[in-house]
This record gives sequence, structure tokens and C-alpha cells, in this order.
Amino acid sequence: MPDPVPGPSHERATREHGDRLLVSLARGSRAPLAVVAAASLASCAAVLVLPAVLAAAVDEALTGHGPPTATVCLILVLALTACAEIAGMMAGAAATASATSSLRVRLTAHLLSLDIAEARRSPTGELVNRLVSNTATAGRVPVTLVGIATGLITSVGGVVALFVIDWRVGLTFVAGAPAAVALLRVFVERVSGLYDDYQGAQGRLAARLTDALAGIRTVRASGSAEREITRILAPLPELSGSGHALWRAQARSVWKIALLLPLIEVAVLGAAGLGVADGRLEPGQLLAAAGYTALGLSFVDQTDALMALAHSRSAARRICEVLGLPVPSAGTRPPAEGPGALSFRGVTVVRENTAPVEDVDLEVPAGSLTAVVGRSGAGKSTLALLAGRLTDPDRGEVLLDGRPLREIDPDALRGAVAYAFERPVLLGGDLAEAVSYGLPAVDREAVREAARAAHVDDVIGRLPEGYGTPADTAPLSGGELQRLGLARALVRRARLTVLDDATSGLDTATEAQVTRTLLEGMRGRTRLVIAHRVATAARADLVVWMEDGRIRARGTHRGLWRDPAYRALFAAAGEASPQDQEDPCPARP
Amino acid sequence: MPGPSVRLPLPGRSAAPSTAAPPTAGPAGDGPAGGSGWRLLPALLRPRRRPLAAAAAWSLVEAVPALLSGLLLAAALDGGFLAGRPGAGLAWLGLLGFAMLFRAVAMRMMFPCLAAVVEPLRDDLVRALVSATVTRAAGGAAPDPAAATRLTEQVETVRNLVSALLRSARTLGMSLVAALGGLLILSPVVAAAVAVPVAAALAVFARLMPVLLARQRALILADEDLTARATPILAGLRDIAACGARAQAHAAVESAVAVQAAATRALARAGVSRRLVVTLGAHLPLAGLLIAARPLIEAGHLSPGEVVGAAAYLATGLDPAMRMLVGVVGSWGVTLTVVLGRLAETVAVPARIPPGPPSPSPAALTPAALTPARNGAGRPLPSRPLPERPLSGHRLEVEGLSFAYASRAAPVVHGLDLTVAEGEHLAVVGPSGVGKSTLSMLLTGLQRPTGGRIRLGGLALEAIPEHLLRTVVALVPQEAYVFAGTLGENLAYLCPSDPRTADRRVREAVDAVGARALVERLGGLDAVIEEPAALSAGERQLITLARAYASPARVVVLDEATCHLDPAAELRAETAFAAREGTLIVIAHRISSACRAGRVLVMDGADALTGSHRELLARSPVYAGLVGHWRDDDAAGGPSPRQVTAGT
Repeated sequence: MPDPVPGPSHERATREHGDRLLVSLARGSRAPLAVVAAASLASCAAVLVLPAVLAAAVDEALTGHGPPTATVCLILVLALTACAEIAGMMAGAAATASATSSLRVRLTAHLLSLDIAEARRSPTGELVNRLVSNTATAGRVPVTLVGIATGLITSVGGVVALFVIDWRVGLTFVAGAPAAVALLRVFVERVSGLYDDYQGAQGRLAARLTDALAGIRTVRASGSAEREITRILAPLPELSGSGHALWRAQARSVWKIALLLPLIEVAVLGAAGLGVADGRLEPGQLLAAAGYTALGLSFVDQTDALMALAHSRSAARRICEVLGLPVPSAGTRPPAEGPGALSFRGVTVVRENTAPVEDVDLEVPAGSLTAVVGRSGAGKSTLALLAGRLTDPDRGEVLLDGRPLREIDPDALRGAVAYAFERPVLLGGDLAEAVSYGLPAVDREAVREAARAAHVDDVIGRLPEGYGTPADTAPLSGGELQRLGLARALVRRARLTVLDDATSGLDTATEAQVTRTLLEGMRGRTRLVIAHRVATAARADLVVWMEDGRIRARGTHRGLWRDPAYRALFAAAGEASPQDQEDPCPARP
Repeated sequence: MPGPSVRLPLPGRSAAPSTAAPPTAGPAGDGPAGGSGWRLLPALLRPRRRPLAAAAAWSLVEAVPALLSGLLLAAALDGGFLAGRPGAGLAWLGLLGFAMLFRAVAMRMMFPCLAAVVEPLRDDLVRALVSATVTRAAGGAAPDPAAATRLTEQVETVRNLVSALLRSARTLGMSLVAALGGLLILSPVVAAAVAVPVAAALAVFARLMPVLLARQRALILADEDLTARATPILAGLRDIAACGARAQAHAAVESAVAVQAAATRALARAGVSRRLVVTLGAHLPLAGLLIAARPLIEAGHLSPGEVVGAAAYLATGLDPAMRMLVGVVGSWGVTLTVVLGRLAETVAVPARIPPGPPSPSPAALTPAALTPARNGAGRPLPSRPLPERPLSGHRLEVEGLSFAYASRAAPVVHGLDLTVAEGEHLAVVGPSGVGKSTLSMLLTGLQRPTGGRIRLGGLALEAIPEHLLRTVVALVPQEAYVFAGTLGENLAYLCPSDPRTADRRVREAVDAVGARALVERLGGLDAVIEEPAALSAGERQLITLARAYASPARVVVLDEATCHLDPAAELRAETAFAAREGTLIVIAHRISSACRAGRVLVMDGADALTGSHRELLARSPVYAGLVGHWRDDDAAGGPSPRQVTAGT
């Protein structure tokens, strides 16, 4: 089985798909989002009228006649702002939480119903990243969009208000703004390049640590932990250097921005002050002009939100890559009654990253032990996936007791076909639950019985907490893990059991015991065994020899053994090498 | 005032870096919320007092314009624009512009000071984390799968937040002081009246902090938990499908997603009271001022310019300051505390060396612990007493050796007696999972037995000084450790003391174990291995074998160290080690390894037998099973006996 190649192809999901996903997210959290928008607009309006109301209230206080209507207005506006901001905050969190979780649930459901050959094209870390991190980024988009929109409205509103106060004041502001935008762009470009260097050094440090932890037994045995620490930390000066460079770049840019923005404010105040001197403006309007200038300049705060939006679009695209993978249609019929006869009829699988199968016709007799042999890449594992509909053929049909797998209800099919793999992943809480995973009704005794049949019961007995040992942290070797996977298949007592290289990690003595279980303990049930070892093939009722996706020959092991090419199969699989001419057990001189 | 805040991380986003989670998250994370985090911060900042003080000084300069803005604005109005002297008004505003220049220059000067605080702080944190992680793993604890995440994302979060906080905290403090100070100069009456609600707001906020900390921590843990639950499920999509467990897996992810969403909402609810603090601290005084303004003006306590100035301080000084307070401290500060708390848990756990008496915690939360590379304080103290006498030879004597993972668990080794004479070649065989690797750990003193004793050269293993034991005994495990560096560095890893003899020994070793062709293909001893994973598993094993051969070790234990070599290469390497001076113990991967050894130890559950190959064939059914299994194959028309293997 070839390793899955990282990352699904990028042409599957375009930016458009991602944007459509974001729009659907926004639609999904309409109600809270409407509250966010209303609250944002309300606080935006409040923020816009605040300087004017404040100015009126101040003027009212200065002129000293009439009822304090402006002051009451101001208090109302302040109260409204507080209410709007609180409502916006709550609704924003609700919108983000619901958008994120609905996306996560949708993605999980999709991933779980994928064709396995498709699902395995992406490494686990990539999928986790999409499920946890990308969904969180995308889930924030609806609220971010509302925020950007209201932010820009606020900015524009501030500028308009400056023009309303006095066109000269507005013009003064507009004259200064382009310089601020230009400075910001230079700053963002300068810093992002340096940030790549910084992250590079960080990555090297992390890689060294990961390496050292992977080889920690050697480090322990060599007593070289101190030297390892020094070695891991070697890229630290580089990291520090990039960090300092980042600070220098910030220092160069930020002070200019910090100078320019207040200068724009001072210029606007000057223009307004001249208006006051001319009698065109009230003193309170000078204060209003100061407030609106700050609002007008608030577009600077949107830099982060815009950068976050760009980031979110690529996150949405990455999610779409997964959501775009096709899900096989689910059948509805129960499996046909029968002893477990499996038929492949003209089965062809052609797709990238999966070893192909071409036009395979094969009858696996009910109750037989059928071994599939062949070099790696010959299509054996694809055949195994097809046997229980973990993947669908592109052409042809796979049938169990005469009924096409596509027509069978997926849950019912799982009761009829069990799998054991070369590298099983144990799921569920402890080891007992890992063996009975997916079968909540199975009792402990059945689990123990299956473990005994897989010759792993004594291994579990030696573990710190026996069957209660957590599955994810149990100290298990590859062979022990395989035997647990085998127990998980055995406990199902399915009419067809598919073993995909499921005993490759066992030593010969244990494998002999396990083979006995396959031969005697499972007699009468159909067993399809993908095997590299000659011993497995030797005991099978039928051997199917695959080459380049086709069946090259079928028959008994004894019959096939006469073919030198068949014998070479086992030599090349690592069982032995031609130059291994040593006497099997020389007496030591 | 916008501007310098551009590069600050958004509070909402800074919670995200810790999502890639240590699976240990759940119960381990329920410690005192953030308490350890706040203790770690002073330890990190203490060595940087000078740049911190300089940054604070520049902050004072930077705060001057904020302090003057209301005064200058009032002067510009009263003495300029309103008095019919627009020139004077513009001059006052020009003064304000000049003050802003000061501010920009101060900001420019402050960056190097901040860099001098934040960069070394990050360096210290990285050093402390690396040394604690490696020391702990080298002490026998399971390597931390989240270590790389901590080293990059969590440390980066701390760096970003500390710099953001340092910049904002001073802006915050300064604008608060400037607004109140300006008010005080302008009008003591107003200042006094404003101080009361501000103090009340601060008190309310202080009461609010524990809630915010707990909610933020809950959110981070929910993120980590989601990752921890989703990872095995996404790794096992095939297995889930094969087990028909889609509904079960879906429910597991869905519940973690729901917990995370609930944590997000709970944090937002805590934010409501944060917003009320702003109303109490900034808006209440403003409304109060305007209501009281008219009587105060009429009574002659305030001038119109003073009212405008005071309103300006309150609206453009105090309001943003209060907002910043709740935003910066209530969000960044809370996140920083929680992340620091998680890091402190990593740095603080004492490294445990199973053999030998417990040593004092090597990485306590002291400044010294944070700079182990400089003063050596982070290192495990030598825990073994000096030997009273030197080793007399290298005979290995095992007496009544027992080991079990837990008191309830079945023993892996039980009452094993074994003597390996110096120079002997012993093979250990047994079914997989029987505990052969555990035995290799026991024999090399890396795992402490639960019963019995092991002596080397007449001395109990625990009595031999650590460095001597590690020099005399070499263990080559199955997973070959090749690190990024030159091939020569990798090969001389175990003979660091004398570079000249090391070079000769390495060359001899390369020839002896059959690694010459590999060394030449890679480009000689000076060739740099950039990416160890790019070498095949067999090539990496060959490198570690040559490394062990070149070492001064007198007892070499090969724990399936040749499993990725083909039988011919394995034969060559094992023969080389057998001919090498000293004792050789081979945990056998193929049965041929046992055939080559002078003596064989067969492990079968808690029983063990020793003898020669021929003796064991007769005496041990397990051994006969391991060796004789191929005879069935032969009978079935299988390959010749010589092609049979004993393991994976």
C-alpha cells in the first residue's frame, strides 16, 4: 500500500468554493449575526453622534440656558453604546461558536463517511489542523466581516462628519490620510518578510527537539542529555537574531506612523480652530472635530482584521478541499443470507495514490482461507479495501453472497465483514473498549476470549492496568498492536474476515500460534488474508497471486511453488536474500 | 489613538496557538488557574530590570503629549481662537504637534529596550523548556508529544503577549495617569470627583479577574481536548469504518465540539461585566461632569475652557484607558497567565532519574532554572555516589532479577539468574512482547528492577557513577537515532573525550561494521546530514552500529539493532561486534543471531533458560518452536531452512 501523499490536490477547491462556504456559514448563523450587525450599527451610530452630542452638551453647559436636553441625550447615547456593545459581544460569540461548531460537525460527519482510499490521501495532522484550527479561523469570518464593514462605515462616517462640520476641516484630514495608508503598506511588507526567517529558525529548533525525543532511548543510554540540549539549542542565536531584526523593522516604521497620525489630528484641530476664530464654528465643534478625526483614522485598526480575512479565506479553501471529496452512496438492503461467499466481477480501480486494480474477477469460496500474495504495489491492499466496501470500485461490482455491497446498508455490512490491519489504530477508552470498538453490547468475557484467540491476553496481563490500560498510551510493540487489532476483528465473528498483512509484525512462534487460530478457531468462516509470508500462503486453501493490479495466477501454494517467479516473490519480500548463504545454525567454533 | 497597536495580536486570536494539544490536557490541566503562570513571569522579567526601567522612562516621555493635550487645547481655545487671536491658537496647537514629535521619538527609542526584554525572555523560556523536556525524557518519562507545539506556538504566544502587554500596559498606565493628572492640574475638584468611580471600577475589575482566568483556561483546555479527541479518530478513519463505529466516533467529536462552543460563550458572558467596568469608570464621570458643569461655571469654580478640557480628558483620555484596561489586562493578560501556567507545569516538574536516589528538582521556578545553559543549574545533580573501588573487570552478574510494570501486573522478568563473563557473546530470544527490551533496559541500568540485583565488575549498577556506567555500557536500540549534523559527529557521538583517537576509532568502526559504502555514498565523514529521515531505516541502523563499535564501551547491548539490515549485512555487523573486545549481548531479531552466539537466553513469560543453541533445542520447547517453526514450511513446500527468520 503506497503511503498517502500529503494534501489533496489544490485544483479541487478554488477560492470561490471557499468564499461560498463562508457565505453559507454566515447564512447559517443568521439570527445572532443580525444582532451583531444591528448592535454594530447602533454602536457605530452612537460613536458617530457621540462627538456631536458631547459638543452640544458642552456648549449647553457653557451657554447655560434651557433644559439640559443635550446632556440627557449624551447619557442616552452612552447607555445605548454600552447596551449595543454588550449585545454585540454576546451575539458575536454565539455566532462564532455556532458557525465554528456547525462547520466542525459537518466536517466530521463528512470525514467519517468518506471512501477510505480518498480519506487516506491526507495525513492525519493535516485533517486535524483542518478540523480544529481552520474551522475556528473560518468560523470567525462572519463576525469579522460585520466588524470590518462597520469599521469602514465608522471611518467614512467620521470623515463625512468632518466635512459636515466644515469642508476645510474635512479637506485637511483627507490631505493627510494617503500618507498614513502608504506608511502602513510599507510596514506590513517589511515585517512579513522578516517573519518568515523567524518562523524558519523556530521550525529548525522544533525539528531538533522532535528528533532528539524520538531517539531518547539512545540519549538515555549514552548519558548525553546535556549535549543534546546544547545541540537542540544551536539555532537559538539565529532565532534571537531574527527576533531583534523584527524589532528594528518595527521601530523604523512604527514611530513614523505614531508621528503622522497625531499630526493629522493637530492639523485638523488647527483648521477647526481657525473656524472658531472666524466665528464659523462653536468651541464644542472643535472637540467634535478631534473626535471625528480619531474615528476617521480608525481604519488603521482594520489592518489586522483585513489580514485575518485573507487568512480565513485560505482556511475556508482548505476546508472545502475536504468537503469536496465525494461520499459513497449508502445502500439500504440487509445482507443476503449466506455463508460468506465473496465475488469480484470485473472490478477496476484507477485513481492516483491508490495501487490500481484492473479487471479482477475472483470468487472467494465461502468458508475458505484465501491468501492474496504479490509484490508491494500489486493491488493487494486495494483488493482488501474493496472486499468490505471501504472503497468502491470505479468499474465492476463486489458481491457478498450474491448481493452487491453497494446495495447493502453500511451498518449491516459491518456486521458481516470484519477487518484486521497491519497497523491498526486502537480507538475507544481502554484496551477492552478498543477490542469491542463499535460493538457496545459485547461483554468482557467475549473480549478476553478474542484476545486469547489472538494470543494477546497474556501481553495485556503484563500491562500496568491490564484491560483497563488506556489504549492510546499503552506501551505496545507493533506485533502486540497487530494482535489487538486481530482480537478486534475476531470478537465480531463476522462471516467474512479480511486480514490485510495483519500478522507481519509477529515473531515466527507467535505467528504460528495465530495462524492456528486462523486455521482452526475460525474454521467455517471466510478468511481473506493479504500475506507477505510464505507460511501463510502455504496454509491457505486458495492462493491468489496479484501482479500490477491483475491476477497473475491462482491455485494452491504447492502448485504455484513450482514457478520460480512465485518463489522469488517471497525472497524479495524480505524473508531472505539470495546472498544469505550462511549455514542456518552453525556450531560456534 | 490608533497607530502603534497594529502589530499587537488580537486578544481573541491569541487563544488559538495552544490548540495543538498535549493529550495530557484534561485532568492534568486542572491545577490552580494561572497561579504558577504569574509566578513564572517575575522570574522571567527579573533579569531584565535595566531595559525594563529604560522602557518605563521612555514611556514617561511618551506620555507627555497625552498629558498636555487637554491643557494645550484649552489654552488654544481660551487664549487663541476664542480670544480672537487665531495665530496664538495655532501656536498652542503647534506646541501640541511638537509634543507629538517627542512622543514618536520616545517610541523609537523604546523599541530596542523592549527587544532587550522580550527576546532574552523568549530565549530563556526556550532553554528552560528544552532542557526540562529532554531531561525529563532522558529520566525515563514518556516523551511529551506536545513538546514541539509548546516550543513554537505557546512560547510565541508568550512572546507576543508579553511585548503587547509591556507596550500597552505602560500606555494604559500612562494614559490613565495622564488623564487623571491632567484633570488634577486643570481642576482639582473635577479630578477628585472622577477618582471615586474610577477606583470603584478598578475594584470591580479586580474582583472579576479570577472568573475571567477560569473561563479563559476552560476555553484553552476545551481546545486542547478537542484536538486530543479528534486526532486518534482522524488517524483511524479506516478502522472506524471497518468497525462500523461511525456513530460512536461522531458522537465523541461532537461532544468535544459542543464543550468548546460552550466555553466560548461562557467567556463572552464574562465579558459583559468587563464592558460595565468601562461604563462605571469612564462614562459615569463624563455624564456627571456635564450635569455639574453649569452650576460650577456659574459659581466660578470652572471656566468654559476648563470644562472643554476636562471633557476632552474624560472622553479621549479616560475612556480609551478604561477600555484598554479591560481589553489588555482582561484578555491578553488572562491568556498570557493561562499559557504561562501551562508552560510552568512543563518547566517545573522535576526530572526523575529512575535509578539512584531522587535528586532535588533540577528545574524549580527560579531565575537560575531558566538559564541552565549559563550556570548549569538546570542539570540533574549527579545522583550516584562515587565508587569506593574501581570496577574489577566487566563481568555481568544478575541475581534474582524481577520486574513488573505495576504491582498488579504480571511480571515481565521473574527471579532471573544470569552471569555473562567478560568477552562473552550472548543472544536473547523469545516471542515478541515477552519483555526482551525491558531486559535490555534493566541490564544497562536504564530501568530499575523491582527485585534482585545486577552487578557489573563486582559493583552494583546503582553504585557505579552515571558517567562511568554510560561509558562502559552501550545500548543500541531498534529505533536508530541519527541527528542533523555531520556524519562524523554522529559517528563520534559516544567517544567525545579525545578527538584524535576518536577519528581513528570511527574509521575502524566504519570498516568493521560494513558502513564504508554508506559513508562514501554520503560524501565522507564531513558530509552533513540535513534530514535524518531521508536516510533509510537500515542506513540509520548502520550508522548507530558504527557509533557503538567506535565507543569505548566494554559491554554492548544490541536490542534488535539490526532489524532493518538484510541478513548479510546483519551477519557482518554482528560478527564484527563478536570479534570486538568486550561483552556482546544481542536481543535477537532473527534466529540466525541466536545460532551465532556462544550462549542463548530464552525468555518465555516469566521463565528463562540459558544454554547453547544445541542444548536449548533439546531442553526448551519454546526455543524449538522459535527455531523449528520453519520445518512446517519446508514440509508444506516452503523455502529452505536458511531463509527463515525469527522475527519481524
